Amino acid sequence: MIKINNVTMKYKGAHSPAIKDINVDIDRGEFVFLVGPSGCGKSTFIRLLIRELIPTKGKIFIAGHDIANMRRGKVPQLRRNIGCVFQDYKLLPNKTAYENVAFALDVIGKPNRIIRAQVPEVLRLVGLEGKSESYPDELSGGEQQRVSIARAFVNRPAIILADEPTGNLDPATSGDIMSLFNKINRTGTTVLVATHDREMVDNMRKRVLALEGGTLIRDQQRGVYGYEE
Amino acid sequence: MSIRPFYFIKESFKSFSKNWIISMAAITTVTLSLLVLGFFMLVAFTVNNWMNMTERKVEIVVFLNDGVPAESVQSLQSEIMSWNDDVRKVTYVSKDQALERLKKEFKGSDMLSMIEGNPLPASFEISLKDPAKADEIVKRLKGRSEIESIRHDKQTVERLINFTKMARWVGVIFAGLLAFAALVLIANAIRLAIYARRREIAIMRLVGASNWFIRWPFLLEGIIQGLVGAVIAIAILSVIRAAIEDNVKRLLAFLPTGLPSQSYWQLTFALVIAGIMIGAAGSALALRRFLRV
Ligand SMILES: Nc1ncnc2c1ncn2[C@@H]1O[C@H](COP(=O)(O)OP(=O)(O)O)[C@@H](O)[C@H]1O
Ligand SMILES: [Mg+2]
Repeated sequence: MIKINNVTMKYKGAHSPAIKDINVDIDRGEFVFLVGPSGCGKSTFIRLLIRELIPTKGKIFIAGHDIANMRRGKVPQLRRNIGCVFQDYKLLPNKTAYENVAFALDVIGKPNRIIRAQVPEVLRLVGLEGKSESYPDELSGGEQQRVSIARAFVNRPAIILADEPTGNLDPATSGDIMSLFNKINRTGTTVLVATHDREMVDNMRKRVLALEGGTLIRDQQRGVYGYEE
Repeated sequence: MSIRPFYFIKESFKSFSKNWIISMAAITTVTLSLLVLGFFMLVAFTVNNWMNMTERKVEIVVFLNDGVPAESVQSLQSEIMSWNDDVRKVTYVSKDQALERLKKEFKGSDMLSMIEGNPLPASFEISLKDPAKADEIVKRLKGRSEIESIRHDKQTVERLINFTKMARWVGVIFAGLLAFAALVLIANAIRLAIYARRREIAIMRLVGASNWFIRWPFLLEGIIQGLVGAVIAIAILSVIRAAIEDNVKRLLAFLPTGLPSQSYWQLTFALVIAGIMIGAAGSALALRRFLRV
């Protein structure tokens, strides 16, 4: 599903690359944690996968498409197949939970009939059936993150990418959010979660990719956050 | 890609209501620019129109000496007619015909009773294909024994030519400068609209809205601003045109004033297109600089 071949990414004007010669293969339906301290390149890694950044060297294949050499006009199609979740939720404050999710379908031209069917369904899936008319500022952090996950998942993408999705949440809520990702993963969706939440990673025993200074230092099945400490 | 005009128009109006001050400034500048362009074009067209009318009339009158034999008159006429690169038409007006005309023009006046005999000369009336050639023709005719004198409206014609040329240039330059200002202002209005919607844009990009879906509303907004500016300019222009035409008609009843309505519609159409182009160019500028998709 995701194939990363010898990818190096150096920001313009930066002294050293943020991602150094990384090779990773992620299969369809896998659940993967991307861990490492702040500044190790997790966000850069994710931005490369949605072609917000283009690698300086190497190739990235998503569902068989070489996305580094993809035509600009094809990028939207790529992104429709990848759902993204962020630490700061990125919800529109003047739209309700329902409207925030519907927006994602609306702007890719889905007909109203489909929007009316899929939005309530995905809101139920993330456990927000009673909150669809609430605005973001009427929702807790965990609930807002659920809206954002609903939005990422509503178009049934093959891949969900999450960049520190629990970074602003307390441990109990974080656990709920992680179970939600687990639930989504069980529908066959490939899930990649970047986090530095040690406890979470240790509890879930999923595949772990560990970055340090832009280098992939560990790729471990049923792994933990770190060996030492 | 789905194209939903209603969505785009709704978004454009929403954004306009948010940034209406800068949008009004942009529209006003478009109006001003097209007004200047339209006004000078109108003047140039009108003067051009006069010129075409006068061109069709006589430009050079060659008065003949009395008592020139008919054959000489004939051969001179043929010679002038043979310059058919420049000459459109040569009409011979005999002494009798000249008197007839005079009588007609001053019908009812008792001035004619003071004229004894026929003091009027016979003449050739020459109309030209290109009024700018008048000088040359006059030079060729000068000094002939058959000819008593030559009259032509050289200065009038030249002045008209220069005036229209100048009106066009002044109009184009002023309008160009104003159009540039309008373009920059529209770009600025669109920049603000993009900024106001940056969160939506970020999410649209993230969920894979197509590039044109994201750009369209802004392009449309710029085009609407240009179009509104053009429509206002055209409205003002038609008022100005009516006022001027009335006054000119009153003052110069004999001049063929005004424009054929076809030219007027062409001008209107050109202004609408110009407004749309300014708007589209302004948005395109803003989109290039501020909306990386
Ligand atoms: N836009 C940018 N321009 C230049 N350097 C950047 C940019 N974004 C991130 N970096 C640098 O790249 C490295 C990796 O950053 P990032 O991917 O955000 O790490 P993480 O998400 O793991 O905290 C850091 O050293 C950071 O300073
Ligand atoms: Mg980060």
